[in-house]
Amino acid sequence: MSKRKTENLNTDLFLQIEEHYGYCSPNIFFFFRHLLELLKQTAIHGESNSVLIIGPRGAGKTTLLKCVLRHLLEEKEVQKNLLQVHLNGLLQTDDRIALKEITRQLNLENVVGDKVFGSFAENLAFLLEALKKGDRSSSRPVLFVLDEFDLFAHHKNQTLLYNLFDVSQSAQAPIAVVGVTCRLDVLELLEKRVKSRFSHRQIHLLSSLTFAQYLERVRAQLSLLDDFPETKFAQNWNTLCEDKSVKEVLQRHYNSSKDFRSVHMLLMSCLSRVSVAKPAIKPVDLLEASRLCLADAKANMLHGLSILELCLIIAMKHLNDIYEGEPFNLQMVHNEFKKFLQRKSNSMYNFDQPVVMKAFEHLQQLELIRPVDGSSAKTQREYQLMRLMLDHSQIMEALQKYPQCPTDVQQWAMSAFG
Amino acid sequence: MKYFTRVRRVYRWRGEPVSFNRKLKTYDYSSLVIGVDGLPRTTLIITGQHILIEGEDEDSPYVAKVLRLFGDESGKQKKAAVQWFVRVSEVPPNKLKLLGREPHPQEIFYYQGRSCDDEVDVESILRPVQVRRARSGIPSTVSAHPVVILDWFLFKQVTSSTPRTPRHATPSIPSRSLPARQPGNVLEEARIRLHVSSVPESLPCREQEFQDIYSFVESKIIDGTGGCMYISGVPGTGKTATVHEVMRCLQHAADVDEIPPFTFIEINGMKMTDPHQAYVQILQKLTGHKATADHAASLLEKRFSNPAPRKESTVLLVDELDLLWTRKQNVMYNLFDWPTRRHARLVVLTIANTMDLPERIMINRVASRLGLTRMSFQPYSFKQLQQIIMSRLNKVKAFEEDALQLVSRKVAALSGDARRCLDICRRATEICEHSAAERSATGLVGMSHVMEALNEMFSSSYITAVKCASVHEQLFLRAVIAEFRRLGLEEATFQQVFVQHQALCRVEGLQPIGVSEGLAVCQRLGACRLLLLEPSRLGVLQRVRLNVSQDDVLYALKAD
Repeated sequence: MSKRKTENLNTDLFLQIEEHYGYCSPNIFFFFRHLLELLKQTAIHGESNSVLIIGPRGAGKTTLLKCVLRHLLEEKEVQKNLLQVHLNGLLQTDDRIALKEITRQLNLENVVGDKVFGSFAENLAFLLEALKKGDRSSSRPVLFVLDEFDLFAHHKNQTLLYNLFDVSQSAQAPIAVVGVTCRLDVLELLEKRVKSRFSHRQIHLLSSLTFAQYLERVRAQLSLLDDFPETKFAQNWNTLCEDKSVKEVLQRHYNSSKDFRSVHMLLMSCLSRVSVAKPAIKPVDLLEASRLCLADAKANMLHGLSILELCLIIAMKHLNDIYEGEPFNLQMVHNEFKKFLQRKSNSMYNFDQPVVMKAFEHLQQLELIRPVDGSSAKTQREYQLMRLMLDHSQIMEALQKYPQCPTDVQQWAMSAFG
Repeated sequence: MKYFTRVRRVYRWRGEPVSFNRKLKTYDYSSLVIGVDGLPRTTLIITGQHILIEGEDEDSPYVAKVLRLFGDESGKQKKAAVQWFVRVSEVPPNKLKLLGREPHPQEIFYYQGRSCDDEVDVESILRPVQVRRARSGIPSTVSAHPVVILDWFLFKQVTSSTPRTPRHATPSIPSRSLPARQPGNVLEEARIRLHVSSVPESLPCREQEFQDIYSFVESKIIDGTGGCMYISGVPGTGKTATVHEVMRCLQHAADVDEIPPFTFIEINGMKMTDPHQAYVQILQKLTGHKATADHAASLLEKRFSNPAPRKESTVLLVDELDLLWTRKQNVMYNLFDWPTRRHARLVVLTIANTMDLPERIMINRVASRLGLTRMSFQPYSFKQLQQIIMSRLNKVKAFEEDALQLVSRKVAALSGDARRCLDICRRATEICEHSAAERSATGLVGMSHVMEALNEMFSSSYITAVKCASVHEQLFLRAVIAEFRRLGLEEATFQQVFVQHQALCRVEGLQPIGVSEGLAVCQRLGACRLLLLEPSRLGVLQRVRLNVSQDDVLYALKAD
């Protein structure tokens, strides 16, 4: 093939990847090509292979695989011949269930309609027999995709993995095993026999995006196409990312996490405010969406507490300060609260013990406090040791925004000595 | 014509026999001549022809297709193996309805039931018959001669549309529409040969082990006694492949009558769901019967205890022996006890990974029955790995010398696993094929390709992962190290680390993040296993540990 033609093919592929995957960097192109060649070898030449795609959550592993499969199935020969089996570690929690699912998806002869006949041992023997009878030149190749691959390594004896990898290394029906996982140490989970049969091919999807590339990507995602009817509107829309405050917001998100799933959530919540009455996105919308995304969950919960519960939380905070994080019980908290009432309070008054107990229980239900150990039967409720699950910054932040908080409570919270 | 059926028919073989079946002592013939007493005219039947076979009803004899014609040495017994067909009248009406259309009265179907013999005496053959294949739909004309229309509608398929338990399910993967493509160039050819599954006829570097196992099994077969052998070695050292090679050679020797005939069966501990399934599988492979585990155990017990005339030796290969362990160890006990029976004639070869398996997991009586015939397969040295690759490639010159050496040395230093070596070489040929830009002068796989393959397949990606982490993730790792240094421990709670994280944010000039965001950063690091975390329901109180060494993290962070 001439060099010019390969270059043209490469650029075509580049554009295709950009269209389906969203963007294309040299790394992504390399991985795409590697995976595509591997699956082509299985589908067309009948060679068995196994590969693992590893990357953090939201890195685009499943998207890459889908993109490759879509490209691969464009070829007629592959489309007619390739059999696919898709398994997920979260759905098939056991080898028994996984085998039934494989048999059902391959539509072997012990399946009638949707029901698979036979016990676990029979299903395994049947599947292994079926694969053993095949050979590379005359059987249809089978592609096994195992999502959440690391969960399959927790099954008993790793039977399924051993058998799949064993078939991929024997002269039987050609199969390709593609595992997708987010754990970097997945190979340590495999038993030595299974590890020996795995071909150790790994594709690591680790993105080394700079902020400029990230910004460019967001801009590309948000921009309207050139053939949009209202050109002025499109122009206004497309210049959103030039705005300084927008850049700051995106910088904040980029600092927190580089993956695109989180930025999609942000953009989605921002886009969902677009309506007929308010057709354009303003930077302030993005700021608002960002604020919602980055809001502290527990601090929000504190806004819904009653003033007594809030006082109990502040008392716990003071106890943590004094005793440096040692666990406390209701009596200690109540005593601390009573000290505040005696010395400083004007607006609060002394509640009865059962009321305080009820408030304490409510806090426990909300999981703002947590018992130190699980044994709740041995000690009396009031003397059970607890720990606070909130950080001081969260309490202070919540107090700023608490509606109609009495000033003496606020001052009590901010004082260093309780 | 009815009165002809009272005439005596004479059957004779035509021509010389085409082959001799040594086991059954029968001769195969290509054609048969049927003559009638007193009449010169004869009818010729050849294999592949459709025939009519005498049945109960004289007007509608059975239709069949001749697959084989054979007879014994004396010539008295003449038989034919046939494929039966059923007529429309023989199909039960409820099954006929499933056909979906009106069947032609002279239509026949393939019969794949197992309830009748496939072999018949040739004396029951009447005459040949013409069978025409029908296109879908009703055939238009039917001639008066004995012609029946064959519909390629498999009888079995007619019944499968009713949801019935498939009792005759045959395991198979469907066949492809076009055959697989053959290799084009040298590199592709090399790649096929380097695939782990293309095991060569004789394994290099395992000659001594081959000889030992061969002589052991051969002596047992010739003497007609039983015995046990335990083979151990790390994965990828050629244990199963060597045993298969031994059995192939022994089978060949049995075929040419050098040694008595024997049966070879193989079970694998990993391919079973439960150790007791071993009995089921052994019984099925020996006799073809299916039974439950307990019943199979008792049947095998009877078989190996009772003397039987003309009994063949059995060689049983048990792969992955350690998975057959049970609390009471009765599966292993039986497997090693049966060869000790006088009339069992059972030779058991077991394969496992550890040398001291018998001492470690077996109770005394089981270990003593296993015996002391042990063989240990050592991991391959780099010279042996080189020899293995060279012999696989045979005359195909695809690798440079020093590239091969590098791969062999690297793999030998680490594990001595032949599979690993072959996979890396295969990946190197792939890289060479696809790196059009850096095609080396000779077109062979060079050092650069091999180095790239080694980097890919031996890499630990923790450092790259830390380098590619986001700003706050890297800061969090720094905070973890700082907190560990402060506490002098290898463990800290999220709350403590978060305090450090806030301090680092201030130092770096970044906007400080909230607790929820910090927890999210921590969870992401935990999902990749850069950090080891307690369950997230503990919130800020969860303890954090590093899964990477501190030096690695600092090195990765320093390079920025």
